[in-house]
Amino acid sequence: MVNVRLERVTKKFGEVVAADNITLEIKHGEFFTFLGPSGCGKTTTLRIIAGLEMPDEGKVFFNEKDVTNDPPYKRNTGMVFQNYALWPHMTVFDNIAYGLKIRRLPKEEIRRKVYEVLELVKLRGLENRYPTQLSGGQQQRVALARALVIEPAVLLLDEPLSNLDAKLRIEMREEIKRIQKKLGITTIYVTHDQEEAMVISDRIAVMNQGRIMQVGLPKELYKHPRNLFVASFLGRCTIVSGKVIDISPEGYVTIAFNGTKIVGILPSRDIKITEGEKAIAVMRPEDFTVEKPRKNANVIKGVVDWISYVGPYTEVRINANGRRFLINVDPDFKVSIGAELQAYIPYDETIVFPPGEAETAYRAEIQ
Amino acid sequence: MKLSSKDIARLKRELDKLTLVQLIIALTILTIFLIIPIASLLGKAFIYENTLSLKYFEEAFLSPGMVKFPPTGAMVEVIERHKFVTLPNGTRILKPLKTLYIGGKGPDFGYILNSIFVSTSVMIFASILGLIAAFIMARYEFPGKNIFRVLLMIPLLATPFVNAYVIGKVIGPGGLLNYILKDLLHLTDYTIVIIGLPAVILVQTLSFFPIVYLNMLSSFINIDPSLEEQAENMGAHGFKLFRTVTLPLALPGLAAGATLVFIFSLEDLGAPIGLSGAFGTGLHSRLMSFYVYEEFRKAMTLEQVHPVTYAVAVLMLGLAAVAFLSIKKYVTLKQYAMLAKGGRWSPRVRKPGIKGLLAIYLFLVPLVIVASFPQLGVVTLAITDWAISGVLPTKLTGEFLMALVTKSDVVQAIRNSLTYASLAIIVIVLTGTSAAYIVARRDIPGKDIIDLLATIPIAIPGIIVAVGYLLFFGTVFSNTSIDPFINPGLLLIFSYSVRRLPFTTRAVFAGLQQTHVSLEEAAETLGASRTRTFFTIVIPLLAANIIGGAILAFVYSMSEVSTSVILGSRNPAQGPITFLMSQVIYASAAVGTVSIAAALGVLLMTLQIIAITVSNYILKQRVAFLGV
Repeated sequence: MVNVRLERVTKKFGEVVAADNITLEIKHGEFFTFLGPSGCGKTTTLRIIAGLEMPDEGKVFFNEKDVTNDPPYKRNTGMVFQNYALWPHMTVFDNIAYGLKIRRLPKEEIRRKVYEVLELVKLRGLENRYPTQLSGGQQQRVALARALVIEPAVLLLDEPLSNLDAKLRIEMREEIKRIQKKLGITTIYVTHDQEEAMVISDRIAVMNQGRIMQVGLPKELYKHPRNLFVASFLGRCTIVSGKVIDISPEGYVTIAFNGTKIVGILPSRDIKITEGEKAIAVMRPEDFTVEKPRKNANVIKGVVDWISYVGPYTEVRINANGRRFLINVDPDFKVSIGAELQAYIPYDETIVFPPGEAETAYRAEIQ
Repeated sequence: MKLSSKDIARLKRELDKLTLVQLIIALTILTIFLIIPIASLLGKAFIYENTLSLKYFEEAFLSPGMVKFPPTGAMVEVIERHKFVTLPNGTRILKPLKTLYIGGKGPDFGYILNSIFVSTSVMIFASILGLIAAFIMARYEFPGKNIFRVLLMIPLLATPFVNAYVIGKVIGPGGLLNYILKDLLHLTDYTIVIIGLPAVILVQTLSFFPIVYLNMLSSFINIDPSLEEQAENMGAHGFKLFRTVTLPLALPGLAAGATLVFIFSLEDLGAPIGLSGAFGTGLHSRLMSFYVYEEFRKAMTLEQVHPVTYAVAVLMLGLAAVAFLSIKKYVTLKQYAMLAKGGRWSPRVRKPGIKGLLAIYLFLVPLVIVASFPQLGVVTLAITDWAISGVLPTKLTGEFLMALVTKSDVVQAIRNSLTYASLAIIVIVLTGTSAAYIVARRDIPGKDIIDLLATIPIAIPGIIVAVGYLLFFGTVFSNTSIDPFINPGLLLIFSYSVRRLPFTTRAVFAGLQQTHVSLEEAAETLGASRTRTFFTIVIPLLAANIIGGAILAFVYSMSEVSTSVILGSRNPAQGPITFLMSQVIYASAAVGTVSIAAALGVLLMTLQIIAITVSNYILKQRVAFLGV
């Protein structure tokens, strides 16, 4: 088992900074995910860990040993590529056995290990097929088996599920999680799919423009985003901007816009905000209720102008003085367009960010 | 360039053992057999009495045979002579014999301007023919299209010298053309003789227009149909659509094809030598390529070569370079060796109306008949007594084809060619694969130079390479085993290697572009060193491309002309097939009859057909390569 540490890693491609001063530590046996939109530098960071790219600056450590200048073949990582990278001129068996042959294992042991890993990924019986004769899901399993069979120090997965259909994707991510827990192998995963990241990871690093925006447990990131990017990238939300008119001693910040007031909390103690400044409030649709909650809550009153039945819940937009709030209601709740509706959101679920965060919002409309 | 310690660490990582070996192979071969010989030629041409000087160029331009402007001689000339003929009743009368000479006495611009005039004309005519043929083949569906597809490729089958000889024989005084026009159809009283520069332009246009045709065909086929459909949707149609959308999109293909034709025409020795074989030397051999060839053929030692010859050679190189650079903004070097990729979508094809159909046949039928005539003529020469029978052959004979296996000097030439081409393939595969792999996969400074060097030989006149070899190896390695004056065979292996290198380099490069780099990265993360990755992953995956490229390089080495005839003449016992053909056609009739050269031409054509078929099958795509 191995822990991986990145120290001030920076990588540029021409003018584009793919990795910007990244420092973090991935622990023994951890399932760690780099999550971010395309072009955020997550794959580059993974490739730096694999040794396929060299950082312009900074260092990479495996178990406190500096491997920055080691070529990929000296690092003992197992990597699963986005396109699987199965060799078309080799059978499934030969693909999987490749790394073992390089390690000069005896023939019998190679056979034993290959069949073991085929069992693990549930591919027994397909060892003599060629990659082109396999389905996408099977190819994925071969790629995983090929990476696992060498018992790598670190398992690296670069968007391994992005080429699969939706149902298979869900099945495979549970499969990968199961295998990883069984083997206890340090695993680094790259994806742009936030739900996938939430489900599969022990910890997640959310990245944007080469920088790490926040590292934490899935729930921590969702419930307590440290910045607007993380808040807007994970899940949906309503974002409104206003002016700070009051800061209570308990830390509740009141912002006002168009005669409406909203009270919320700052994402952390070390973020400061002053009265009279602009600020942004973020609210998740599932935190709204139509009945008054026991806790102190903001009241949003307006006219329903959009209803959409999703299944487990119904999405409703309320237009309150020109600002539209997205809320989720119970599918049995009776509501119609044009009706007046009053919704509540607790102060503690409303997060207020200082004005500088506005630029980092991910594809979100700031009202 | 400033190198920080990080850069050095990176370079060290990039330069693993494999890359280092590949780099050394590619750079060594290209430096010794391409850069240094050309540099020697430049040095010889520009240095007079140990200082830089343009003296030889001045001499070249001022000498009356080199530059004549305005040109001398009339293009068309009628010569009338009277001759006694015996009528059937026994009386003898004086009958006027009228001959119309086209190109016999002029125009003559002198060697330098003649070459430019010929190359430019050939480029224009070949472009027009190629463009029309390609548009028809790309956009219309008509009965017999597949037959035309094959027939249009026939002129690409290289039968050096003999094709020009055949044309000379047909358009000459006692040839087939006059027989048909005058004696058979009585259309004219004149005997028409096309000779001189017009004859060269005719021969070269017929053999080179398929280059433009293939380039344009692939351009037309590769145009995304939706681009034209969008234009039609906005109201453009007919010629307006062609002029505003189709042609601009296909322009890179035209630029590439036209430039190649210009360069190939400039360096061509086949037409002047072949026509000299048919008519004796004359205006058709007043070309720079022939001038350089003759100077070296006549000289026993380097001292006997007039230095002006080097200036003329450099001028040819300069013209090729100018032609090449002027279109660089349209086409990258990469497109030169490999032309057609085959369409990824179903192209826009329509059925012409009855008038259109008539126009298509009126254009294509004469074109394919005239253009494939030289090749048909070569076959006829090889299997009949046509060489001595007059207007038409009278009987079939296997005598000349048998000579390929019985006549000792012919067998020797075939054996020489096979040896040189086989050994060249080893050099080509090593160098080409190395160069392509470095260019496609490595991040090292200067790799662009390797890319350029491995593809540019296609634009360098072979005469330049030959002269460079004679100068460099004939001086520095005088009286050693690689002295071309003693042992030209060894250097022919390398001249073939360098000149045909682009075929393999491009084929391998194309394969690497279609192979995702993650296949190699996967092996590396699993613990395989780069060397091991190369041999267990890259080579097996690219085997088809390497073999396909090598086969093409092999046959086009067999039919190589320029360096073969110039270096071959230094030691005829080591001469390859094309050298023997040039000897038979032009230099000394004592060597054998023209029909022997034709039989060798048939051998070359057969090899080319087999090679193109096999490599297209192996490469699993319709890739058209140049074979000149």
